[in-house]
Amino acid sequence: MPSLIDRFRKQDRKREQSGTFLALLAVLFSLSGPAQAEGESEIADKRFEFGGFGTLGVAQTDSNDAQFIRDQSQAKGIGKTPSAKLDSLLGLQVYFRATDSLELVTQAITRYGPQGNFQPDISWAFAKYALIPNNLTLRVGRMGTEFYMLADSRHVGYSYLTVRPPVDFFGELAFHYVDGFDLVGTLPVGDGVLKLKTFAGQSNEVAPIGKEIFSLRRNPMYGAYLDYQQGNWQWRATYAQMTFKHDLPAPVSSLQEQLAAVGASTAARAIALTNTTSRFYSAGGVYDRGPLQVQAMLSYTAHESHIYQNTKAGYLIGGYRLGEFTPFLGYSWSKSKSKELSSGLPDIPFHDLNVALAGALARVHTDQHTWSLGTRWDFRRNMALKAQVDMIRGKPESIFLYPTSTPKFDGKLNVFSLALDFVF
Amino acid sequence: MLKRAPLLLHAALFLLTGRDACADLVVVANPKSGIERLKRQEVIYLFMGRWRQLPSGTEAHPVDLGNDSTERAEFYRQLVNKEPSEIKAYWSRLVFSGGSRPPYTAESREELIRLISSMPGAIGYIERSQVDSRLRIVFELSGSP
Repeated sequence: MPSLIDRFRKQDRKREQSGTFLALLAVLFSLSGPAQAEGESEIADKRFEFGGFGTLGVAQTDSNDAQFIRDQSQAKGIGKTPSAKLDSLLGLQVYFRATDSLELVTQAITRYGPQGNFQPDISWAFAKYALIPNNLTLRVGRMGTEFYMLADSRHVGYSYLTVRPPVDFFGELAFHYVDGFDLVGTLPVGDGVLKLKTFAGQSNEVAPIGKEIFSLRRNPMYGAYLDYQQGNWQWRATYAQMTFKHDLPAPVSSLQEQLAAVGASTAARAIALTNTTSRFYSAGGVYDRGPLQVQAMLSYTAHESHIYQNTKAGYLIGGYRLGEFTPFLGYSWSKSKSKELSSGLPDIPFHDLNVALAGALARVHTDQHTWSLGTRWDFRRNMALKAQVDMIRGKPESIFLYPTSTPKFDGKLNVFSLALDFVF
Repeated sequence: MLKRAPLLLHAALFLLTGRDACADLVVVANPKSGIERLKRQEVIYLFMGRWRQLPSGTEAHPVDLGNDSTERAEFYRQLVNKEPSEIKAYWSRLVFSGGSRPPYTAESREELIRLISSMPGAIGYIERSQVDSRLRIVFELSGSP
């Protein structure tokens, strides 16, 4: 597989090559395409499809002591002033069915991201090839990450009930896609359908840390999930991991240097990220029957580096359709465990350094829960209006999910959101 | 218990909405499809994109009627008790995450009949009164388990 990953490294350096690469794949596979029956070609004739999705959202909180973000990929959060940057986005997709077995998909998305603007990004560009029709599918290119169930559709507001996926659960994620490949096996088992997916590749994203940019580029990512869908139920267990190839930017990087410079090399190494791995375990279930939908998920994240804290999180959301309205109630939580790490340096004369180290470790603590209450209103075709209130209740030191917070922050935050979701 | 559930849902839908949920829709396939009957669960899997193969092993090609057809809305109400907006939301998730694609949409009942009668793997739904010898009824929505 290294050759494949190498190929994608080159793709990263020369983006323009990816089009050629996909076109080449298309030609290769179309040569081997089977002859089509008369009616089949009629259905297959619909080769190109354009589509899109988007959200116009406005949200505000009741405090300026902490800025609320949707996930770790957003540079700045929102406060008491109503803001459209948290949830608004637009996605466009081009789908091309090259043969019965080969599909090409490209999707671009513009949303408020790491650079602090709405710079568009190619979120996906992949070729999907049916190795064994219905049973085994290979995708190669850039795909959405499925670190958690539903994670790869978390920008498609129209597809779910709430204004945004629960932040306690999905907020820790800073990455959205992976460059590599995945293999999906599907098999009917009993009354249901069993799916096994494995993926491998590398991240090519960046995440904002304060005013700095934290590079996730070339971080290897691997994972797998087992999914079983039967009747009204869907179950999934997922494992995924990411190995870091870069350290955090300032102020953590300068802290590392200072610690190393005064001989506290153990502590300096402990807060380094390079060549450490973070592991994501999760399990989820969805119950969907007529007007009733319920979903629940649990996760555990373990980091080798001391600069992140191991975290448990979960959520439960239930909604019930009443005519055009689907009111919902959600509960989510996230709790991380502080890691003990001492510089080993005496407080005199290293007081400032010890305080900086303690601060860096405290920055990533979370201990909070959220009640969410709202409704979705399917007021016209392909459009939904949503209103939601989130009541976040946390310890004052629960600040990981907020990029900036002042010492006055007491851990409580109420978020009021309105969103118009659409697809076309 | 599971087998009775659709009947109960059906009754509940009728009571709640007062809507005539009894439009007599049937699921039809090509006589050469190799299948005689489908179970409700199998029809759901085929139309919801979970499994696109007929029990006979033939590659399945589910066909929808147009968005504006009453049959389409009624079909999904009777099959899974979902409104058109919910079906659209369901497919939006799959389509925009690179999963499976929704059924092909026929432009008319005539196109649907033509497709099904010319493709062994095609499967669709239609009013019982419009079924002729080119089609085989493989599932009846009203009251079928």
